[in-house]
Amino acid sequence: MNPANDSRDRGFLFSLTLFAGLYIALIVGMLLADATYTTPADLFKALESPEIRAAAKLSLITSTITALLSVWFAIPIGYLLSRTNFPGKALIDGILDIPIVLPPMVVGLSLLILFQTAFGQAIEEVFPVTYRVPSIILAQFAVACAFAVRTMRVTFDQLPQRPEQVALTLGATRAQAFWRVTLPQAGGGALSAGLLAWARALGEFGPILVFSGATRMKTEVLPTTVWLELSTGNLEAAVAVSLLMVFAAIAVLVTARALGARKGW
Amino acid sequence: MPTRSRLGRTHGAAPYILGSLALLLALVFALSYDREDRAAAGQLMLYCAVGLKPPVEAAAREYEERYGVHIDITYGGSGTLFGNLKLSRQGDLYLAADESYSDLAVEQDLAREVFELATMRPVVGVRRGNPRGIATISDLLGPAIRLGYANPDTAAIGRVSRAALKQSGHWQAITRAALVTKPNVMDLATDIEIGSIDAGLIWDSTVRQYDALDAVELPELEGEAKQVTVCVLESSAQPTAALRFCRFLAARDAGLLHFERKGYNTVAGDCWEERPELLLFCGGMLNAAIDETVGAFETREGISVTRVYNGCGLLVSQMKAGASPDAYFSCDQAFLDQVSERFHPGTTVSSNRMVILVRKGNPSAISELADLCEPGLTVGFAHPEKSALGVLTQRIMKEAGLTERFAASGNLMLDSATGDFLVNQMRTGSLDAVIVYRSNAANALADVDLVLLDAPSAQATQPFAIAHSTNHARTLARLLDALTEPDSRQRFDALGFGWEEPLPADSE
Repeated sequence: MNPANDSRDRGFLFSLTLFAGLYIALIVGMLLADATYTTPADLFKALESPEIRAAAKLSLITSTITALLSVWFAIPIGYLLSRTNFPGKALIDGILDIPIVLPPMVVGLSLLILFQTAFGQAIEEVFPVTYRVPSIILAQFAVACAFAVRTMRVTFDQLPQRPEQVALTLGATRAQAFWRVTLPQAGGGALSAGLLAWARALGEFGPILVFSGATRMKTEVLPTTVWLELSTGNLEAAVAVSLLMVFAAIAVLVTARALGARKGW
Repeated sequence: MPTRSRLGRTHGAAPYILGSLALLLALVFALSYDREDRAAAGQLMLYCAVGLKPPVEAAAREYEERYGVHIDITYGGSGTLFGNLKLSRQGDLYLAADESYSDLAVEQDLAREVFELATMRPVVGVRRGNPRGIATISDLLGPAIRLGYANPDTAAIGRVSRAALKQSGHWQAITRAALVTKPNVMDLATDIEIGSIDAGLIWDSTVRQYDALDAVELPELEGEAKQVTVCVLESSAQPTAALRFCRFLAARDAGLLHFERKGYNTVAGDCWEERPELLLFCGGMLNAAIDETVGAFETREGISVTRVYNGCGLLVSQMKAGASPDAYFSCDQAFLDQVSERFHPGTTVSSNRMVILVRKGNPSAISELADLCEPGLTVGFAHPEKSALGVLTQRIMKEAGLTERFAASGNLMLDSATGDFLVNQMRTGSLDAVIVYRSNAANALADVDLVLLDAPSAQATQPFAIAHSTNHARTLARLLDALTEPDSRQRFDALGFGWEEPLPADSE
């Protein structure tokens, strides 16, 4: 470590910081700009509104359900993609990206149409979905799960296969090796996948608007509230709710990451 | 072995899987627990144009407080909601910002009754105090003004501004001068408020929703008003409850007050009554044609329509003596004319041709009015003071120059109050010929033959007129709509009535 190297590193680190700083300045700048359109009084007023409280509760619960479901589906899908080869794998890979590239409104529209087919109607007979709470979860899940799958796939790709192979040579079945060796190692990845899915679900709006409607106190989630307030010229409330979402998201994400860190993930 | 792992005694993933399952179940329970307490009360589902949220939400809340009926409101752009309701075939009500959407819904059999609520006019929206001093359309075209307008394909306001400005010849210049096109009116208004544009073509009612906005009215945009409407969807399983809420929303002393408070120009709505009781005076000849339709209307609307069927002469006397019906469906325009000061101009619904009924096989060979003067016939006419039929009979005889000749023939044997009575006399065989309406004869054609009178004046037209004094003119207008619908028309047709347009003389 000679001084010349040290100063060269400083230049390098400075340029990294510059990029990081610019991006962070953009994010913080947006939030500060928001803040000029609201006051703490607006925030408290928003928190006192029964509609917004219901929307917040519904948002938090549905996003969490979506995150759990997404992880459940993402683990087996990610594992399959990472550890197995089969004909048509590239196609399956592509299909799994569709929810990511599709415009959100199209996801909603497609779900709406799906539930008007004979198949969808048969489900609706037993378990009504369209314009009801389950449609929110389904709309969130349709998109969020794709992100969780990507994360789990990378997680399994990066896990050394060796412990799993050792377990197999010691006589474990593939299932046993998965449950007891691979999956515990993938805990950190599962947490990341879950949080990504959660954050994505919390901010999901387009498909929910189309597939679940924007019914006050019924299918109104926080992004719907923002849109409704914006649509009726109530910029202050729209910004207040947006900031509440930001605070809630930061609180949840930071806490979850801290818990994960204590587990060594 | 997997069983053992699930017990979690090893370092497996089982505790997490079980934990997440438990959490999931708890969350689902929390959701369903929440749902139950609201399902009990009656509720309606309303698709509502999002720009109309402030007055509609306030009115819906008042309705829920007063009548315990919860209104589930789904908000969106009028066009988006139209797409949704068309696809899902769910919901009870649709409130569109622009009547063209409700017209489309009716046209595509998605909606039935339409209620007008308020009128919106296009204006130029600017920041409060009009800092850029915009006063004329040419002010908008300057390079210093950042102008926005709504997309004519997605937003009603865009379509309306285009129509108005194309007519004034400014549209091309506006599109060239504009900085931005937005998909809906609220986006434009927000842009003006934030300051990213200086002026935008928006609704006057939108301006009133924003404290930071002012409206500049331009003569070029005048005359392009649009109606805010709410309609009852065909998909509604509870049309009566839906209609009741519509009547509330469109009542000048209930729902429309909320629109006025938010700065809308409201229509002249009905007065609010939970179950209005209407009085309909109606010519006796129309009884069979309309009673079923009016009954169905009563049931669907959840209101009461008391029908008083009588000879029109009698009804007119009753009105002159002080009776005050909400509407009058007259046997003939002549009777409505006698009380016209009480009513809005009538809408002619049907016509009823006059015919000569003769014995089966027409043994007396009667083919025109003059034949009734042939010696030895026994003829029945309706009484000119008691019924429209009598007045009309007298008139056509006079027009044909036969009044004196007929009187001289001494053939008139019977002066009856109603056409039905004359038909009965014919069926008993006591008369050779009578002059009645074709509808009177509808059930008697097995026993008698019918000779059409080809004089253009040989028919009565039936106008439906709404009283100036009624508090329920809009409801009565819907009744009139119901009376002119195909189902109702079939009933008129089956009885031999003509439809709106007088029949050509040589028909049959």
